[in-house]
Amino acid sequence: MTDDPLRSGSRAPDAAAARLAALLGQCALGNQAAFAELYRATAPKLFGVAVRILRREDWAEDVLQECYVSVWSHAADYAVAKIAPLTWMVSIVRNRCLDWLRRPHLESGGEEYDIVAESWAAEAPGPMEQLLAAADAGALARCFAHLDSKQRQSIALAFFHGLSHSELAAHLKEPLGTVKTWVRRGLERLRNCLSAETA
Amino acid sequence: MARYADPRLREWLAAEYVLGTLRGRARARFQSLLKYDAALRGVVAEWESCLTPMAAATAEIEPPARLWRRIAARIGAQPPRSRWWTSLALWRTLAATGLTAVLALGVYVGNLPRPEPPIAMVAVMSDDKARPAMVVSWPQLKDARDPHIRVHIVQDHPTMAPDTSWQLWVLPGGKAAPIPLAVVGIEPIQHIRLERSLRKNVWQAWGIALSVEPKGGSPTGAPTGPVIFKGQCVRVM
Repeated sequence: MTDDPLRSGSRAPDAAAARLAALLGQCALGNQAAFAELYRATAPKLFGVAVRILRREDWAEDVLQECYVSVWSHAADYAVAKIAPLTWMVSIVRNRCLDWLRRPHLESGGEEYDIVAESWAAEAPGPMEQLLAAADAGALARCFAHLDSKQRQSIALAFFHGLSHSELAAHLKEPLGTVKTWVRRGLERLRNCLSAETA
Repeated sequence: MARYADPRLREWLAAEYVLGTLRGRARARFQSLLKYDAALRGVVAEWESCLTPMAAATAEIEPPARLWRRIAARIGAQPPRSRWWTSLALWRTLAATGLTAVLALGVYVGNLPRPEPPIAMVAVMSDDKARPAMVVSWPQLKDARDPHIRVHIVQDHPTMAPDTSWQLWVLPGGKAAPIPLAVVGIEPIQHIRLERSLRKNVWQAWGIALSVEPKGGSPTGAPTGPVIFKGQCVRVM
């Protein structure tokens, strides 16, 4: 996917992605200097991703530490991932964050929800707006813009803030079933649009 | 388990998993499925390519400096991974990325266990499908008292036809004829003593090739059988 906005952050997206891929290759061979460079190049973005989902910097630090240790020891796996290097790393971070949120004592409390509502409201501009505004975000932003506003909002809240279906329903003050449908239809449309764009 | 065979369900579960809305036990169950279902991992990877780039829109936050110190401590605390290059998976993986094998060489040097002299030159040799098959390396030859070349077969299942031998050749570059270097076996790691007379040729080699020869090596002093691996030399010191 040449339109991958994770790779278009810089003026030479492919060069940046190639650099990260090369660094991962070196990490697979035990090169600590390459790992340090990889960290410098990616940590602010990954920390941003983790803080948004976990909403606590201390948790985000713990998760990121585990993620980087995992990237270091599994860098060779990147090769078979067949996706952009930053996408691969973001997936690792998001999955760890979501696993973290699955811990039982975190899932029960309604307390989290308030923080979410606040942080979402206080956000200016939110990641969704940034995504839509990014001139170089390419196919993904175009497809995202094609979604209904409810679908877009649900997907953005789930993706950027790690909201579950029930948290979405509470936040959007809609029945659970309705929210689930928005998410599912939104994902379907996004997928169809992206495959049409990249076909 | 049968219900997971439904392609629409698989698609939907993968999408919700990547988005993050698959939670609790459903998420744990899906993760355990992923371990054994490569096709499902493929569906997940497609969704990751699709959705995860959205993260580009996330504002960056500089993590505190202590985070790097903690990570570095974890990495540094690991015992040195000795003989890591014997991992075939690693080399295959490198081949699969399309990263050139040469990329690996910069660090090939730094990770040798102490008893072996540091590598000065290396040739990563590929098979006819451009997959790394063999790595041949040697230390500084000028001052070495008893120089050896190191042959590391990284191919999946090296096979040698009966009554044949594998012979290594120094390719001097240009139109110069290959110079016989050594006959090798199919053990993954071999150390081969370097004839004194060959030092200069090896040190100035452009590349290394391996041909299939009659048992015992080429009878003519030139390659007679097919060249199955070949690679360019890279000076790393």
